[in-house]
Amino acid sequence: MAALDMRDLGFRYDDGTEAIKGLTLSVAQGERVAVVGPNGAGKSTLLHLIAGFRMPFSGDLTVMGKRLDKNSADGLRRHMGLLFQDPDDQIFMPTVEEDAAFGPVNLGLEDIPGRVARALRSTGTEHLAKRPPQRLSFGMRKRVAIAGILAMDPGILLLDEPTSGLDPRSRSQLIALLKGMRQTMVIATHDLEAAAELADRAVVLNVRPVAEGTIRQIVSDRAVLEGAGLEMPTLPKLLGRLEEMGYPVESLPVTMEQALAEISRMVEREAERRSG
Amino acid sequence: MTMVLGHIKGQHFRAHHIDEHARSSWLWRLDARAKLVGVLAFVVAAALMTRPELVLASLCLALLMAASSMIPASHLARAYLAAAPFILIASLSVGLYGGLGKGLAMAARTSACVIALLVLASGTETFALFAGLRRLRVPALVTTLLMLTYKFILLLGEELSRMMVARKARGFRTGRSLADRYGLKVLSYTAGMVLVRASGRADRTYEGLKSRGFEKDFTGWRSVGVRAVDWAFLAVLIAASASLVLFQLEVVAWPLST
Repeated sequence: MAALDMRDLGFRYDDGTEAIKGLTLSVAQGERVAVVGPNGAGKSTLLHLIAGFRMPFSGDLTVMGKRLDKNSADGLRRHMGLLFQDPDDQIFMPTVEEDAAFGPVNLGLEDIPGRVARALRSTGTEHLAKRPPQRLSFGMRKRVAIAGILAMDPGILLLDEPTSGLDPRSRSQLIALLKGMRQTMVIATHDLEAAAELADRAVVLNVRPVAEGTIRQIVSDRAVLEGAGLEMPTLPKLLGRLEEMGYPVESLPVTMEQALAEISRMVEREAERRSG
Repeated sequence: MTMVLGHIKGQHFRAHHIDEHARSSWLWRLDARAKLVGVLAFVVAAALMTRPELVLASLCLALLMAASSMIPASHLARAYLAAAPFILIASLSVGLYGGLGKGLAMAARTSACVIALLVLASGTETFALFAGLRRLRVPALVTTLLMLTYKFILLLGEELSRMMVARKARGFRTGRSLADRYGLKVLSYTAGMVLVRASGRADRTYEGLKSRGFEKDFTGWRSVGVRAVDWAFLAVLIAASASLVLFQLEVVAWPLST
């Protein structure tokens, strides 16, 4: 059974603006799918549709095998944890630990102290347990928001621009944190590098679905990037320029590890060429 | 009120400043229920006083409470000044019809109540205050509305701060007279934009609450029992309030009467 199944999904705002059209996507349990696209592509709207805050204008959406509609939305939302772009929109309580307990208390879950302790430990916010969240940095507040979600132990994580607004160090730390999680994930982002590190597969969305594949396949296709209004990340751009200069590249890298592997191969080939 | 005055004067509003003095007082360690019941009992008693010497005594008790609370006097004075116009209007209206003595008694009586409530509000974190009300069996609808209103005020304040920074960055000079038509126009546009933005954020906050299983009641996680020190604090305030009422009703003779 797929964790999420969308068939010909469509959504239109009250003023008639089309936000999503004809999206068919299935996400297996434990799979991580990135939804990439420019601003206004419908990424956040898609997450809100999945979380049942808005109802699709057309098509079908099932969560853990159950059809999502107005009646089932509240119940199905128990399976999902939504990370908002701005953590302040989802932090309510006066201390970090009380905020982590907020969801489990509302849902009537058991072992709240254990859940809170585990959530704070896994997000590295244990030492902040008694601190008021509003006095923490943006990156830390994002971690607190994630702790609040993890304490509810949802099977599906919906992450809306998880890396936006973070400094490089906080961004890397957050990516490492999310990489260590085992939940099904749908990550809405325009950060292709973060998507490459986090997701198994990506869907390019620009109101309509434009392409699907690995991030590596997507960045290698200039037509797709241009069609979706996406900018190629720095690493593939650099390797692309090297290729133009006569150094062949097997496939354009997106992550640092992929780039290092590609450059190593390039150096080896060059060394062989010079010695032979 | 402070937020609006700050806006006109071009001062910044910071959400966490609301509770900034709560932890400077020993009062914050006390259970909110004990504080609420004790202070409200004192306020009711102070409001019932009509004899000048007892009105004065209740004002002295309120000032003693404020002085012993360790809350910075400047903070309490600023908050009192925000309420001063209302106290003045009430006292003047009573003074005009009932004479100077009754006007002064009204000023002292309302001041005693306001000071006691300011000590309670400044010496308790806002959330703890609402949670205390809930634990005192105030209906969930009321406490939830209070908490959401509080959260909305914080959102309004944050949006206001952002707008003020943006306005300043584009050369708008703050501290203008309210008679300045251009300044007034910009201020009214700012207020409109703040409301529009805050409404958007309020929607997202509601979705944030729903996504975390919220139904209709903000339930605290840890329910702390009332300790001996809380009972002692409550007993002192109840005893003081009861004494004032007994003196007022002349059940017990006021010891300082001539």
